[in-house]
Amino acid sequence: MKRLQLQRWSSSALSSRARTGGRLQRHLYSSNRFQSTNPTPLQSEADQSFAEEPSIPSTTTPSPKFTKYQLPSPPIQAARESAKLAALHARLYLPSRLPLETLARCLVDPSADSNSQFNNVPLAVLGHDLLTHYTSEHLICTYPRLPLTVIFAAMFAYAGPKTLMAMAREWGLEHAAAPGGEVDPGFLQFKRVAPGTDTNAEPLIGTTRPNEDQKTWRKSITSSVVYDNEFGDPDMAGVPSSESSESAIQTQYTEGVTVEQASASFVRALMGAIYLHAGRPAAKRFFEQHILSRHLEIANLFSFNQPARDLSRLCARENYEPPVAKIISETGRKSRHPVFVVGIFSGQDKLGESVGASLAEARTRAAVAALKGWYLYSPLNVRVPSSMEEKGAAPWKPVYVDLGEVIV
Amino acid sequence: MPLRGIRTVTTARNGVGAFILPCKRLDFHYCDWAGSSRGMLAFLKHALPKFATENPQIEIRVSPRPHKHPIITGHYINGREKSICVRNLEPEQIFVKANLLKEASGEKLKRTKKPVTSINESVRGIWSPYHGGLKSV
Amino acid sequence: MFSRSALARAFALPLEQATRQSLTTTTFRACLHQASTPSNTSSEEPLSATPRAQFSTPTEQPTHPTPTANPPVTRADVPIAKQPLPPTFMTPLKVSKSLLDTLPLLSTQKPHYISAHLHDRPYLLTEGDHLRLPFLMPKVKPGDVLRFNRASILGSRDFTLKGAPYVDERLFECRVRVMGVDSEPLRVKEKTKRRRRHVQKITSKHRYTLLRVMEVKIKTVEELEKEGEVVVE
Repeated sequence: MKRLQLQRWSSSALSSRARTGGRLQRHLYSSNRFQSTNPTPLQSEADQSFAEEPSIPSTTTPSPKFTKYQLPSPPIQAARESAKLAALHARLYLPSRLPLETLARCLVDPSADSNSQFNNVPLAVLGHDLLTHYTSEHLICTYPRLPLTVIFAAMFAYAGPKTLMAMAREWGLEHAAAPGGEVDPGFLQFKRVAPGTDTNAEPLIGTTRPNEDQKTWRKSITSSVVYDNEFGDPDMAGVPSSESSESAIQTQYTEGVTVEQASASFVRALMGAIYLHAGRPAAKRFFEQHILSRHLEIANLFSFNQPARDLSRLCARENYEPPVAKIISETGRKSRHPVFVVGIFSGQDKLGESVGASLAEARTRAAVAALKGWYLYSPLNVRVPSSMEEKGAAPWKPVYVDLGEVIV
Repeated sequence: MPLRGIRTVTTARNGVGAFILPCKRLDFHYCDWAGSSRGMLAFLKHALPKFATENPQIEIRVSPRPHKHPIITGHYINGREKSICVRNLEPEQIFVKANLLKEASGEKLKRTKKPVTSINESVRGIWSPYHGGLKSV
Repeated sequence: MFSRSALARAFALPLEQATRQSLTTTTFRACLHQASTPSNTSSEEPLSATPRAQFSTPTEQPTHPTPTANPPVTRADVPIAKQPLPPTFMTPLKVSKSLLDTLPLLSTQKPHYISAHLHDRPYLLTEGDHLRLPFLMPKVKPGDVLRFNRASILGSRDFTLKGAPYVDERLFECRVRVMGVDSEPLRVKEKTKRRRRHVQKITSKHRYTLLRVMEVKIKTVEELEKEGEVVVE
């Protein structure tokens, strides 16, 4: 496979910080940078960021009184002088092709610097897509029979914002009290939410779901595949920018974000930066080492409502004999603390078995055990589709695809 | 809805995939005037640059602390910190103390009896008295 | 779960195998692969042979004699059991046909546990476990990766592979990472003598090495074939 020209393609996502070019270029960028602090319309900035080569603005007015106190986030030159940033780079064993300037850019949240050439939004979008792509293909190939709600929960557990915040904390990341140009670029730069703000008070506006104002309407799981994001939450980012109001985005950034949102966007941006600078194998390795190596008991994510009914439907669908609960052993039936061991049998095969303090409880637990045994099936020698991108990969064999969960 | 997913967070297992050194920052404090800082000053002059280049993942801060004994403080990724007073110590002894802080896990010192701690489920399962070889009274 | 419970009933007995290489020859490991190519082709035959009848009495396992050549004495004051094993990879790995037949059952059933021995002390480990050694391991730094090569038991939920006394190190991989050094709180022991109004306080503060188990893997038959094992009856 030919080597991908990531650097060339990604010039829209990577802005001036990533380019450690010549001195003239840097000077031009810094003048561009100075302009960005002026109150310019947001639309023009967005246009600039999507241009292939950022054009040099004709109205360059270099001011001699250039102080970093005026900047919303630390300047590019500060990245080379920050001990904190270099230590973070070395602590994460980041590839040397990822410059410190990009790492500094990953640490700038859009609430600190709304200019998308200097904040981490473009990198975070890419990183989020990579993270959720790798996580979902791992989950679906490893556990092909998982129900969709459990896949959503497992996605949230692996790549959700709570986990990413915990990861950033375990990397030793520290937060700036307030963003600014004079702050050490090794701190996470974001504007905090004012104390006392109720984060859940505002109604959800701008999701991809139609009739989003109808709170009482039932939301089916199938519709959440279409409308919601990777975790089954309302999707705010999927709306094209023309539909969502600019002012809403502006207020969202100026009002501040929580530590959780800012840390999550940092981790996502770092993933995107590794992909852009060091390539896909490094990004995959980073994902496996930091996300997949964490511990998750998928069996604990299930919450059944009526497991016995689900099991009988499952047996009917798979043409098994209808499940029958039988007592395997018991003790102290007339006492205060009886114990029943109940197994669920389909013909001669025992599907599940469990212990309970009453017959109904034991039967329910046994049905849950049988359903978990079905849903948590995992084939041997699992390969994910993205493993085919490696050099010299073995020919692809189709992975196991299941019918799906039981529809009751 | 017959089946719901419960939202949790994955548990970190540092070292299984990537390894993050628990010590993230070392603060060296000294006094220019006091005699108890003599070894610390020599350490800062001669040994600290080598120590810092050998351990790039640790952020190192050096700051004066006038009219006090010299100390080294280590900050760890679990949020705790550890301080060691290095008054009247020779540079070699200070190097040993800095290494101690570097290698420490940051946890509070505890006396434990069991060598292995695990968050995995038991591989063989738990023994049950209700299965196999039941004896009726 | 359906097939697993049936399998477990069918094979609910430990597959014990004594594999112990006792020969120390002077061949190099690089020669091993060249020498083993003919044995690879011959190993196809026992694999495709009809499986043995299930042996239902685990007590009839042959016990291999202890190695005739003693391990090299490195330090006289350390007992023989605590001294490091001599390298066993001078000769190709010898596995019996019954082990080859039953190894897939063990290696495909995850998760695995291992009873790894370090200085003749067993540690029951699974993947991701945190291990605090009861001593300070010298000459290791945080971040180093070690490989445990002495194990007495490898197992999964239903199957166990026992060594006599140790399993050959080429059948499994157990890697641990050095996490750092921990220490216990200061202990103060008060010592008194009779009729003497003096209390001697003896302090001790030991240091321990922290490890994290990175992987516990039992090699499959295909991997053993790739490494060139020799099938013996």
